[in-house]
Amino acid sequence: MYIRWKYLIAAVIVAPVLALLVAWSGLINIGARSGHWAVTDWFLHWSMQSSVRTASVSTEVPPFDNPEMLKLAAGHYEAGCAMCHGSPARERSSVVFGMLPVPPDLKPRIPTWTDAELFHIVDKGVRFTGMPAWAAEHRPDEVWSMVAFLRRMPNMDAAEYQRLAGLAASSEGGTAQLGCQSCHDEDRLNGRSLIPSLAGQSPDYLRKSLMAYLKGERASGVMQTAVNGLNADQVAALSAHYAEMPRNTLSAEEANPNGGNVEDGEKLARLGRPEDRIPACLSCHEKADGNPVYPTLSGQSAPYLARQLRLFREGHRGGTAFHHLMARAANDLTDKDVEDLAAYFAARANSR
Amino acid sequence: MCDDRLTGRSRPTRSPVNCRLPLAVLLSGLGLSSCTGVQSALDPAGSEAEAVATLFWAMVAGGGVIWLIVVGAVIYASRLKKKPMSESGASRVIFFGGVAFPVVVLAFLLAYAVWLMPAMRPWFGGEGEGLRRIEVTAEQYWWRVRYLDSTGAVVRETANEVHMPVGERVLFLLKAKDVIHSFWIPSIGGKMDAIPGRTNALQLEATRPGTYRGVCAEFCGTAHALMAFSVQALEPEAFEDWLAARPGEVPVASVEPVASGQPRGLNLFLRHGCGSCHAISGTPADGALGPDLTAFGSRPTVAAGTLPNTPENLARFIQYPDAIKPGVRMPGFAMLPAADVSAIALYLKGLE
Repeated sequence: MYIRWKYLIAAVIVAPVLALLVAWSGLINIGARSGHWAVTDWFLHWSMQSSVRTASVSTEVPPFDNPEMLKLAAGHYEAGCAMCHGSPARERSSVVFGMLPVPPDLKPRIPTWTDAELFHIVDKGVRFTGMPAWAAEHRPDEVWSMVAFLRRMPNMDAAEYQRLAGLAASSEGGTAQLGCQSCHDEDRLNGRSLIPSLAGQSPDYLRKSLMAYLKGERASGVMQTAVNGLNADQVAALSAHYAEMPRNTLSAEEANPNGGNVEDGEKLARLGRPEDRIPACLSCHEKADGNPVYPTLSGQSAPYLARQLRLFREGHRGGTAFHHLMARAANDLTDKDVEDLAAYFAARANSR
Repeated sequence: MCDDRLTGRSRPTRSPVNCRLPLAVLLSGLGLSSCTGVQSALDPAGSEAEAVATLFWAMVAGGGVIWLIVVGAVIYASRLKKKPMSESGASRVIFFGGVAFPVVVLAFLLAYAVWLMPAMRPWFGGEGEGLRRIEVTAEQYWWRVRYLDSTGAVVRETANEVHMPVGERVLFLLKAKDVIHSFWIPSIGGKMDAIPGRTNALQLEATRPGTYRGVCAEFCGTAHALMAFSVQALEPEAFEDWLAARPGEVPVASVEPVASGQPRGLNLFLRHGCGSCHAISGTPADGALGPDLTAFGSRPTVAAGTLPNTPENLARFIQYPDAIKPGVRMPGFAMLPAADVSAIALYLKGLE
């Protein structure tokens, strides 16, 4: 028996039409109750695992050398992840057991992935599941903090989790709530913090930065999630509130955890380096009659400052309407310059 | 003075009465219009340009005579002479007209050009010791001009304008910051490249006072065509007066309100951080990244010969530098209130 060409061609045309007809008829059950067929389930998981494995082949894992990475991630985990994946302090909501696929309890799952694989899952999300991508595209630093946190989470008890996420402070009576203070409480910050101190910051800078997060003009998966739902009045009130608070000062050795050269940083901040097109930081920042949208840097932690400078240098740091000035200023900084400047400003007395 | 002559482009602010009409009259003179003006090697105002122009006219005249002889010979041979020439006569014509004559003419031209060379590139006679030195650094896309004293110390710094005395050889030390540029004042002399990492020496002598236009003559990037400068050839006493003048920070023309001892425009200039890149002598602004703006109001053009220097053009450039000069390193300040930009522009225009 022969298969004639015309039958083959007809089949190629007819088969998709038939498939469309079946879908149009509405006979396919898209309800989540009965779950996938076993073969579909296997195929989707197998594809996902293969995709994550291949994507992470050439990913370089940075050192998890700053314990403050955990605090940056813990609050966001509580705000964005715990409701589906559970946390050391709470079980998954019963609602999520009706999802398809059911978001896994992470405790037994995390050890089955490498750091690079976890990075790709958290950063890119997973298609055909409820797993969203990280809210900001160019913030691998934040995602690595989350990976560092996830790595630790299986061995974490509820008390440690609540301490890291800033839940314990506000938990007297009723459910613990996340607020600005959960992360930005002055007493929770130290010289290695990746979370900035807001106390004593210029209120104009705070307000315009929060608005930039709200409008998606400054990228941060953590902050864009945190400010969600605030209105302009609340933003103004919060900005004024934090601007009036006193900022804790850092001791000299506490302020320089990465061993930057404070003298070199001071020289660069005062004079710039015109031959490399680096302007003096202090010609805009920390001036008594300066533009109030330019932030106060003194007493901010060195890791936070260094991270912001790197984001500016890479062109991924948005912010207020003035942020492009800073991107130009930071464009030619070397890694040593970044660490020196961060160390200098972290230890500098606030003169504003 | 009609500033348009120094900018290569027409702009909305140019006055039709002052500029368009004479230009139209000039253009009606057809080819002659390009032979005069602020940027013409055929209207020399310097010893080197004169030598070049003399050589050019000698070649034009000689070439014209030779052309007439050749065309005359062709007409004679094809139209007037009925009988063919004898073989020995033709050989003589070929020898004298085709060998001897070109050898003599070219040898003469070569000798004349070699004889001119010391006038055009006088470093054969020495390194220019004892000459007045002006250091010109080409950067994308502007000119840093420093007047040096006999010890090499900077007496005065300006940008995008060269002042030189008439009747005196001046040694230009040509440098480049980023890519290869070329320094050319057609009315005064030939061009020379400015090469990163090198200092090229060019001696020029202006012979006629006046205002001329210099250009970058080597493609250096997107705004290469918008990288010009003005040249003021001054009588020696006027030049010495100009060099010795120490422009202060208070605007000469009191076009803008002065509050709290300091002009509002200067306050805004400092407040927004303009001083991190630009210097104005007599003020705290001491940035060395961009053009020095001391006595900016006396410059004929804005943005290195791009626009006539009016407050409106300057305000437009401050707001949208990249639209006026693509690739310019100055960031735009369109986010400032228009009134602030106008105040800064008025202040700068008032600096003399």
